[in-house]
Amino acid sequence: MATVTEAGKGEAEWEVKIPEKKLKDRLFYENLKAMVIDTQMCSRCLTCVSICPSELIVNEEDIVDFPNYEEKCLDCGACVRVCPRYDYKPKSGLGDYIEFTAGKSKRFKGQDGAMGTEFIFSAIDMGLIDRGLFVDRDEQWRTSVFHVRGKEQLEKLPLGGTKYVFADILPELKKAVMFSKVGVGVVGTPCMVSGVRKLQEEYPVFREKVKLVVGLFCTENFHYNEVSKYLIEKGVDFSKLIKTDIMKGKFVATMTDEEVKFKVSQLTSILPSGCNVCTDFTAVESDVSVGSVGSVAGFSTTVVRTEVAKEIWDYIKKMGNAEVGEGKVEELDFLINHKKEREKNIKQ
Amino acid sequence: MKKVGTPEYDLSDKLKYHISALSTAAKEMALPLNITTHYPRERKRQPDCFRGYMLFDPERCISCFQCSFVCPANAIWMKDAPSGRYYPTVDYGKCIFCHFCIDSCPGGALRTTKIHDVAYKTMDEMFTSTEEMIEPPEIIREDEGVVDYVIDKEDLSLKRTKEKDELIVDIEPSQGVPMVSVCVDRGSCLACKVCDMICESGAVSSVVEEATMTVKMAIDAEKCTGCGLCVKECSMQILRLVRK
Repeated sequence: MATVTEAGKGEAEWEVKIPEKKLKDRLFYENLKAMVIDTQMCSRCLTCVSICPSELIVNEEDIVDFPNYEEKCLDCGACVRVCPRYDYKPKSGLGDYIEFTAGKSKRFKGQDGAMGTEFIFSAIDMGLIDRGLFVDRDEQWRTSVFHVRGKEQLEKLPLGGTKYVFADILPELKKAVMFSKVGVGVVGTPCMVSGVRKLQEEYPVFREKVKLVVGLFCTENFHYNEVSKYLIEKGVDFSKLIKTDIMKGKFVATMTDEEVKFKVSQLTSILPSGCNVCTDFTAVESDVSVGSVGSVAGFSTTVVRTEVAKEIWDYIKKMGNAEVGEGKVEELDFLINHKKEREKNIKQ
Repeated sequence: MKKVGTPEYDLSDKLKYHISALSTAAKEMALPLNITTHYPRERKRQPDCFRGYMLFDPERCISCFQCSFVCPANAIWMKDAPSGRYYPTVDYGKCIFCHFCIDSCPGGALRTTKIHDVAYKTMDEMFTSTEEMIEPPEIIREDEGVVDYVIDKEDLSLKRTKEKDELIVDIEPSQGVPMVSVCVDRGSCLACKVCDMICESGAVSSVVEEATMTVKMAIDAEKCTGCGLCVKECSMQILRLVRK
């Protein structure tokens, strides 16, 4: 509870600017639906779901939905204020960076996520943040988000392992921001990174609390229901599945007794429409991007973009928590261009 | 370090204490002192504010949920009344009689009684609905007198009076600390107007100005009862209760 001295800081009267409606005389949600969801532009980053004071949800078909919105929508405009695709300015390329390098975490095992985990944990060790958000999975490879507050939680949790499935990180981010006293660190795909930046642009509380945003290299990501159905058809048994990976244009699902391989291009049938208009491969808006492309096997390419990330990277090197390798910028060009080509899919 | 030993008495001290003990024994033989209350034929007189069975006044209730929020035993459950408002119900199977609810009630809708001896036949009966809390429960009394413990210099004695103690007393409702809701981070306000909708006293106002595309939010400190409903409902958690 606030004390008397804090009373001076409080406001009894204030003004809030709301955005212009593109469709006049309609609810903001109807605007969002017409401009983003129905036009297949939605990346399902869930920034809108995280900020909605009412009941904006994700339905069973993995689409952002608002049942009974005529009654329940408060028409505050928060969803269109934060949606990265409402007024879409596609970003592409490698973006600005301070250091292009590669690393291999000594503390964490796994694929590219291990380097992201290393960044979050080092930031916790430095006292820069007191909460980190990670994506976990169950036996059926369904994703869930958990909050990490210290090293002691490490041993209990199966971290790492690429899932290729969207996780509901941003709705959890809001909770983390409310609970956090120091700051929050988060790992996400480029669309989620854009969502976080949009939240920070609009609301000071996110600007103040979200200290570290780790972006992952991403060509595309899948919705759980669709990808699980597809993989079962291909003969993947989730109970035996150890890891999934995309290597040399092939999707590889490693199980305890066998391996299922097929060309990534076959997955285009279940490619989410939101990924179809995404041109950002390297998460240009993040503090630091990590991914496997551009470095030798076992290492993760690490693109340090901001001072905060640089500080953490120096700390990681100082503490010897990661082996430092070499990153090759030119190896990224193919995928950067591959994603840039999707620009033509964007209808204005 | 100082060692503490047994006190040393001389002969005159020993004699004095022995005589005192003998005289007490003689006094008890002649006039035995009994400090046991003969309940239920008589009751001990309790202070007016002694924590007991609770009564509820819906007229004063502002449906702020403070009682159920503060209850450490989770005994208070807010239920919707036909009037569309929420009123408390108490599960006496859980209640620990701390009366934090009464102390924190901003409107003074809850008050205590001196009823401490309550009997129920089943666990379900211990769940007390709002209606049951408005009127005092049926009281069966066999007592004809009250006892007061009198502490004089040397002893505790009992004073018996032939009268019935009033179990339901009129106590001034607690005034509480006058609080007011303020916004501590207006930049993070969504203008979702939930605070305006939830406010019972009409202290929060939100006006949409179509021309400039702004929402004017305001909290009237005069009207605000400090119930904290808006503070709890605010989706961005940017409202705080501060002293008026």
